[in-house]
Amino acid sequence: MTAPLYPPDQASGLWVYLEQQDGVLEPVSVELLGKARQLADQSGQAVTAVLAGYEIGHLSAPAVAHGADEVLVAEHRLLRQYTTAPYAKVVAALIEERKPNMLLLGATANGRDLAGRLAVRLRTGLTADCTDLALNEDGLLVGMVTGFGNGILAGILCPQHRPQMATVRPGVFARSQPGEWRSGRIKRVPVTLAEADAPVRVLRQVTSRGGDITAAERLVIGGRGVHGDFDTLRELAALIEAEVGASRVAVDEGWIDREAMVGQTGYVTRPKLAIVCGVSGAMQFTVGIQDAETVVAINSDPEAPIFDAADYCIVDDVSEVLPPLIEAIRRERGNGGG
Amino acid sequence: MKRAKANGVLDLDDALWERVMEATDGAVAPCFQCGVCTATCPWGLVRQEPVNVRQLMHRAQLGIEQEDGAMWWCTTCRACEMQCPRGVPIADVMLALRGLAWKDRRAPEGLAPVMWALYWDNNPWRRPPSQRSRWAKGLDIKAFEPGDDILYYVGCTASYDARTQKVARALVALFREAEVAFGTLGEDEPCCGDAAYGLGQQDYVRRIVEANVELFAQRGVQTLVTTSPHCYDMFRNQYPAEAGLQPLHYSQYLASLIEDGRLHFERPFEARVTFHDPCYLARRNEATEAPRRVLSAIPGLELVEMARSGEGTLCCGGGGGRMWMETQAGERFADLRVQEAAGTGAELLVTTCPHCVACLEDAVKVTGRDLRIVDLAELAAAALGLETTAPRPEQAARSPK
Amino acid sequence: MSGGTGADSMRGLHTIVCMKAVPKSEEVTVNEETRTLDRSKARSEINGPDLNALEAALQLKEAHGGRVSLLSMGPPLFERYLRLGLAMGADDAYLMSDRAFGGADTLATSCALAAGIRAIGGFDLILCGEESSDGATAQVPPGIAEWLDVPQITYATHIQSLPRKRLVHARRELRGGYEVVEAPLPCVASIKLGANEPRFFDFDRWDWAMEEAPVVVWTAASLELDEQSLGQPGSPTIVASVDIAPSAERRREFIGGTPEEEAEQLVQMIRAWIRPS
Repeated sequence: MTAPLYPPDQASGLWVYLEQQDGVLEPVSVELLGKARQLADQSGQAVTAVLAGYEIGHLSAPAVAHGADEVLVAEHRLLRQYTTAPYAKVVAALIEERKPNMLLLGATANGRDLAGRLAVRLRTGLTADCTDLALNEDGLLVGMVTGFGNGILAGILCPQHRPQMATVRPGVFARSQPGEWRSGRIKRVPVTLAEADAPVRVLRQVTSRGGDITAAERLVIGGRGVHGDFDTLRELAALIEAEVGASRVAVDEGWIDREAMVGQTGYVTRPKLAIVCGVSGAMQFTVGIQDAETVVAINSDPEAPIFDAADYCIVDDVSEVLPPLIEAIRRERGNGGG
Repeated sequence: MKRAKANGVLDLDDALWERVMEATDGAVAPCFQCGVCTATCPWGLVRQEPVNVRQLMHRAQLGIEQEDGAMWWCTTCRACEMQCPRGVPIADVMLALRGLAWKDRRAPEGLAPVMWALYWDNNPWRRPPSQRSRWAKGLDIKAFEPGDDILYYVGCTASYDARTQKVARALVALFREAEVAFGTLGEDEPCCGDAAYGLGQQDYVRRIVEANVELFAQRGVQTLVTTSPHCYDMFRNQYPAEAGLQPLHYSQYLASLIEDGRLHFERPFEARVTFHDPCYLARRNEATEAPRRVLSAIPGLELVEMARSGEGTLCCGGGGGRMWMETQAGERFADLRVQEAAGTGAELLVTTCPHCVACLEDAVKVTGRDLRIVDLAELAAAALGLETTAPRPEQAARSPK
Repeated sequence: MSGGTGADSMRGLHTIVCMKAVPKSEEVTVNEETRTLDRSKARSEINGPDLNALEAALQLKEAHGGRVSLLSMGPPLFERYLRLGLAMGADDAYLMSDRAFGGADTLATSCALAAGIRAIGGFDLILCGEESSDGATAQVPPGIAEWLDVPQITYATHIQSLPRKRLVHARRELRGGYEVVEAPLPCVASIKLGANEPRFFDFDRWDWAMEEAPVVVWTAASLELDEQSLGQPGSPTIVASVDIAPSAERRREFIGGTPEEEAEQLVQMIRAWIRPS
């Protein structure tokens, strides 16, 4: 077994890597701070947030408010946009110096990109894409993960190596309320980086063109049963940051364009959530959502085959269910996401 | 890879001509460009410009690369072949050209995944192979044994598509009513390969056929009754005679059961119906009589024929792999077909093919016609008062509507 | 670290594609008594994103010439899947197969694969699927890049090579959009599922791929690997518990009541999926 960089008895502190883009904290980082605070209070550890970037000092105070006892701020112009190498160098150096017990990162594309590299550099264990975190009776971090297409749930431990690393999916933990009464140390750390440390260049970034249902994590899909009313669907979609898709019939009727078509001769989608409204669910359609994590189906026909392909089924008129559903979601999100 | 025109003269590719001749077994040669095919092709009914079948054949003869996707429109309905004075197997030429397109990596998007689905999942619909017999849950269908009267060959669409599962259940009820000794191959049932055939993957079809012939031999399969005319067509025409398979489409089998007195209809089923002949029965296998014999055996039914019936049937648009390609609204043969059916005054449009059912039901949805599409097996089972609904699992309280 | 030699664009690109076979997810169960994974009855297939990676490699070969090598780490039955990759158009295949490799977590797996890649040598680009459907960690590609000390591009949907400049350009999919990055060769890129349409087999290659093509098989010893860095001994993480996830099948849970009640109940059930993102 590769020896750990430093043994468990030298490791202390629960670290959270704060991901930011253009000076805005990723929501998952805030969620992780809240969870870290909880785990830290349970085990008597301190929470340290690691903030790397350029001109991101203003994010330290919110980090403290959300639970960090200490924020390590590493700023350098070569960190302005995320690329693996300079970020890995900076964070690895901090870890080697300060020897944390645990390190949590958001399981975003860049979070997983960084975590995967760091774990090998640090010769430690990384549990990916956790759906929950806990401490076992020995104080070890247990990461709950799914595998085999979400068919299997496993608990993963990293007994001997440090830091115990885990990435966590956005939305798993609720965003906690910031506590303006919290206090914490903000420490600027020295950063030495040269051009040679950043071999990958970001040429350009394009934010949400929208409309790409194949990449969408959430989809609201309409069929014949919406009777042409895609406006309400769009309202629901906007509320939950979803894209809008359609069955073939809806496209044929001219209610929405072909680019939104889900199904065998349209697009195959893999969202985390699909809310399917007024679609009967013939096989040629369900092929397009069968890999969705969670499917909600609303259809007034109790015999509609869509219900066989759904997790949550509402036999009712779409036009009657959507307005109260939109209201209920508004209320839910108004409470800070529950 | 278009050929460049040098000095206004087309460059003919002899090598391509050889490939086309080999791929079509010389079948393309007798065409003398009369153009009857173009005139007959149903695409001419729904598009401004008909599919120029004549030109496709000509280009193939000359060894000129096919330019656009014209060869992919063909539904292999063979309406053109009925009229061709030279007996050119036009549909086969289309499929051969498709085969060449695959080799040149010019097949349209969306089709390679269908082949992968056949390979990994043993069905073209990307449904899990472990769920192939789910439709039969609660029906206690036994595994096929060599002494059985028939193997009921369910097929991929009937196994996985909720709509077509109803047909499968109706057939099971009919077989039991007639006390037929039958079984299925369950999860081991292999896909017949029709999707690969229709999309022009000749090399893949060869391998599928070879593997299936061996499997059928191992299991002692001889007479097999299919739900779909496509599976029937594969077993009858693409599988070697030496395999000793005796395929029947279920309409033929039901007709024989009726003739043998094992099924008889006493209660009248009052309805005015018309019948849509699937191309894969009527034109490709000259099987127009059997469904009508079944219909005529049911008292109370009034059968009104459409003008385009029997060998003259109008394709629903689903053959030739078209179920896996998109046909734009307004260009669908099925829309015309349901219009024609409604014109007979029939309340029920009866057919015997899962693809026809899907296309026609879609057409009824979009054209808003007051016409019910029903499969012959469903009609026969209903006429006999047989129970065919699926045993449903327990469900929580539904909305009180 | 070995890689391409200078601006030799005439010889084309040498791409190594890492691939594996995975059990069909819906056919994997958990043994009630031993609480361990049971894949014995599961059918296998090539990991989906690996096919996308192979397709990307084949397209690069079509554009720039060169060769595509396949590398897999697994039991002997993986050889069949490597041969399928050869039938799609790859040129050579290597299988690392040894009991010692078994039970490895991503640290040990990426370490072993990096060793295999070094043994193949002469590469310009390593392509992997973004993650595999069984473990779903997505950690092996960045791990390989770290072991090889080369740059990485994860979650790529498009990749283009500028071989004379020894560069690649790739589009990385991020939530809410994408970015285009430039990286020097050699590097590692992981390809997103669905990034392209993997070509079906070229049956003209089939017989060669299945019967004649040599698949090189390596053991831990033939690669001179320290067994303590492999398999379970080389893995910092352990699986402490395994259960069937409640969400394995569609729940088909019906919600009843008035529309308002239905809406309220539904929101409670899908709260986790509609949090602000």
